Amino acid sequence: MSTEATPQDQEDRTARAAKDIGPTGPITKATDMTLEYVDERTKVVPDVKWMMFRKIPKETSWFQTLGFTALVIFAMQAVTGIVLAMFYKPDPATAFNSIEVITDEVTWGWLVRGMHKWGASAMVIVVFLHMGRVFFFGSYKYPRELTWVTGALLLVLTMFMALTGYLLIWDQKAYWATVVAVNITASAPILGPYVADILRAGPEFGPNTLSRFYSLHMLVIPGAIATLIGIHLYLIARLGISEPPYSKRLMKARREEEDARRRAAREQLPHGRKPVPAPGTTPQREPVTADGGGSS
Amino acid sequence: MKRSQKLAYKREFEASKKDGKPFFPYAVAHDLIVATATLGVVIAFAVIFRVEIGEPVNPATTDFVPRPEWYFFFLFELLKIFEGEDALTPVIMATFIVPNLLMVLLIIWPFIDRGPERRIWRRPVSVVTAIVVIFMLAYLTEEGANSPGGAVAADELEIPGIENFPEAEAGFELYLLNGCASCHMINGVGAPGPGPDLSKEGEKGRTDEWQIGHLKNPPEFVPGSSMPAFTNFTDQQYQELAVFLNGLGTDFN
Repeated sequence: MSTEATPQDQEDRTARAAKDIGPTGPITKATDMTLEYVDERTKVVPDVKWMMFRKIPKETSWFQTLGFTALVIFAMQAVTGIVLAMFYKPDPATAFNSIEVITDEVTWGWLVRGMHKWGASAMVIVVFLHMGRVFFFGSYKYPRELTWVTGALLLVLTMFMALTGYLLIWDQKAYWATVVAVNITASAPILGPYVADILRAGPEFGPNTLSRFYSLHMLVIPGAIATLIGIHLYLIARLGISEPPYSKRLMKARREEEDARRRAAREQLPHGRKPVPAPGTTPQREPVTADGGGSS
Repeated sequence: MKRSQKLAYKREFEASKKDGKPFFPYAVAHDLIVATATLGVVIAFAVIFRVEIGEPVNPATTDFVPRPEWYFFFLFELLKIFEGEDALTPVIMATFIVPNLLMVLLIIWPFIDRGPERRIWRRPVSVVTAIVVIFMLAYLTEEGANSPGGAVAADELEIPGIENFPEAEAGFELYLLNGCASCHMINGVGAPGPGPDLSKEGEKGRTDEWQIGHLKNPPEFVPGSSMPAFTNFTDQQYQELAVFLNGLGTDFN
């Protein structure tokens, strides 16, 4: 990534200014001026240009769009979540009623709640498919190991998001499912009971449990997810989008390699030691002798 | 990975980008198409399958169905597979060891599988592992979706001989009313887990005090138990439940 405008850029700009080819439209002029204004003060324009117009491998798969799709669903969950938070009241006495109000009275409230609810399922599915794509393409291999680690952590956080969000509806099903989930947490050795106490805000399910889950669902986990998404995206931009291992270009290169190796093996030469004869030429063979030398 | 392999990868990737295309608009266009379609599907689901309003929380009634959302079914089913009587270990297997092992494996996978090979047919171990895990998750999710949701019809469950024990019969009534059958099974009726099968509960020789104490605070009596505490019965009701439970497999049935 180029970090600042190089002298080359400066020259280009002056050259362009000097070589004024005539009147430009007011929109072009305004855009240029704005870009120049912003760049002088942020030095970010070359980076953005690099980011948008960097080369990616020619053959990419449709499966490589799932990461961006997960990002879009996250954005949708954030927006619908903000809208829901405008009406939701994280208090055991009023929570259930506020859900009823959102669903039945607020304009489009049922839609926003429905999108948030189905968005959670879509998120889990898309993130899982995205992970499968990365796995089967072998994209987690050098140099993208850390991208995978941040992605795996994002999957875990997604599951925590689903768990904490489920309780907020504050109906019987959600309540008791969460009671059992927290009991299961408490049964884990050593740290289990402490984690369960932290989740419940005490030894029992109580009024503070709901606000604690609300805070985790609204502030703690989304903050962590946003941070990890930032790192994940930075790494992706930095390292580039990987090429599918079955791309025509790679297959051709591999075939050529394989051919070369076969040719070398046929001549019993260590691969890469001696120049390999071009395809079509008859390989020179040693006569077969009694001690096996030269036979294949 | 060896240095030479790293260099080979870098060379290859540079070559792939050399005759590549710009990120904008090619990748962006593909991304937007798939993301928009997915958003459309989510909105369609929200419109077609309207959100419902359940029953308000009432911690006093224990008539509940402790079923998680579908994406946690695999953990829920795991609990049934490792379902144990009193043994601590199987429960920990399901709630702690297996899920955490999977999670850690997932996170550190690139440091386990470090070879440079990316073609599927040249990575049999990785690919078979992944397919086995995917099938296991799919199977467990499917099982979870098909398992009875706890709404067990009370008249389906028959316990022969219970009519001679009025106190136990009252306890049986409580058992049915409080959703016990959404975790436990008697004579093949009810959910096969996460709780143990109670058909032969009486044969274990537990005292009524033990049963009452266990209902009030399960983990104290069965370490690692994930059963919720039932704290809202009267002394009379606790006694009836204890008699019912200790009679199963001995006095009746």
